[in-house]
Amino acid sequence: MKILEKMSSIDRRVIFLLVALAVIIPLVANIGLPSRPGKYTIEMYGFIDRLPAKSQPLLIDATYSPSMMPELQPMLKAILRHCFARKVRVMLMTLDPNGPALCEAALREVAPEYNAVYGEDYVFLGFKPGSSAVIMAIGENVRQAFPADNYGKPLSEFPMMADVRNYADIPLVVSIAGSAITQGWVIYAGTRYHASVGAGCTAVSTADYYPFLQSGQLVGLLNGMKGASEYEWLNQRNGYSTARREAGKGMDAVSIVHLLLMLFIVLGNIGYLAGRRAAQKQ
Amino acid sequence: MRRQIPLMLVLVLGIFFFIQFFVPSRLSTNIYQVSLQWLILISAFAIVLAIGSLVNHHLLKIKRRREHWPYSYATLAGLVVMSLLGILGRFPGLGLLDEIYYRLYLFVQAPMDAAMFAILAFYMASASYRAFRARSKEALLLLVSGFFIMLGVIPLGALIWDRIPDIAEWIMMVPNMAAKRGILFGVGLGITATSLKIILGIERSWLGGGGK
Repeated sequence: MKILEKMSSIDRRVIFLLVALAVIIPLVANIGLPSRPGKYTIEMYGFIDRLPAKSQPLLIDATYSPSMMPELQPMLKAILRHCFARKVRVMLMTLDPNGPALCEAALREVAPEYNAVYGEDYVFLGFKPGSSAVIMAIGENVRQAFPADNYGKPLSEFPMMADVRNYADIPLVVSIAGSAITQGWVIYAGTRYHASVGAGCTAVSTADYYPFLQSGQLVGLLNGMKGASEYEWLNQRNGYSTARREAGKGMDAVSIVHLLLMLFIVLGNIGYLAGRRAAQKQ
Repeated sequence: MRRQIPLMLVLVLGIFFFIQFFVPSRLSTNIYQVSLQWLILISAFAIVLAIGSLVNHHLLKIKRRREHWPYSYATLAGLVVMSLLGILGRFPGLGLLDEIYYRLYLFVQAPMDAAMFAILAFYMASASYRAFRARSKEALLLLVSGFFIMLGVIPLGALIWDRIPDIAEWIMMVPNMAAKRGILFGVGLGITATSLKIILGIERSWLGGGGK
């Protein structure tokens, strides 16, 4: 009985050590758990997959800081790979001052893989403060919010931007964010300016966006590292990417940690119930 | 007078932009577009304020030799170095500085930021082990739901039983969404009520001084 009761008081250093091992081992070893793409990942993927090549550019807002990088950066890269492979043009922007270098890192890695040309296949608009004001300003005229790109070159000098004025000329807005700014995109870009909006968020905030999925205000949703991993899997299955599945590897570690956590919770509850029964007997 | 001018501005502009939404004339649209540019400019000032506050805080800490004051030098040095690299790197011929800024951000700041956040995983593991107990029927229900969600979002869940992701999806799409919708309605009504109170001058705490 005492062994059962002790299960509710495992030293936290033991827990820390096991969690560290559960993260490190799957990242070092090649487990490669299979992915089963979820409904909302498929919907987002399908929407981008149906966009004609060399058409009007889609707008990606990558608003997150390095703390959310493991979940959201692979998502951004997977969407960029999908777009560049299909020759779908991209405008990339961020509403987080931490964002520009992360966007730049993703572009520097992905664009050369597909020989994507700056100004013809993609434009990096950079950071702009103002959150919802920027979203609304793009609804009036994208040049009002971003007169020039991240490097100071006027947007009018880019051939791919010639016919882009506002959301009416943007087939999809993808908000990849670690904050509530996605709701701003839904409310202002989606409801006020009738833009199609898709989202990618951290796993912890996924629950907040389900109402927008059901109402059709989001065309799809990538759920944290799982969503990124599924998107990478779809890219590889359709021959759009041969790059290493970054989120897929991360998902292996997440899977093992989830199982470990569940084991701890079960042990904790066994110990708790054993302790309660012992107290009742006394 | 110091309070009446901001209150009057909010009243006039609040009512104006409420009406503007329903008036699709050229003049109305132009005013709206100019106001959006002003909003973006005002937001940029928030960054200036934040930097001013950060510098003040650390200078005061150094001056009064408060606990861990030497670290304030590191903060201020980081601020100055990164700002200079970021600003000067944009000038023609100084692209190297921009590259240094990019590398410092990506290989120093980003890993530190990500590492700080990652530490949370260890605390969460320990906390869920200690706190996630079936003390009541409600807690048991939460525990079972949590198990299905945790299994449903990992590939192993489908390998254990292929219906687990569907059950997790149902929990998210039905009970979770019912609660979320209720919260969203509440928040929406709250925002509307608070906005009206601010426009009409009933709610004045935004002016500072505890609404006195």
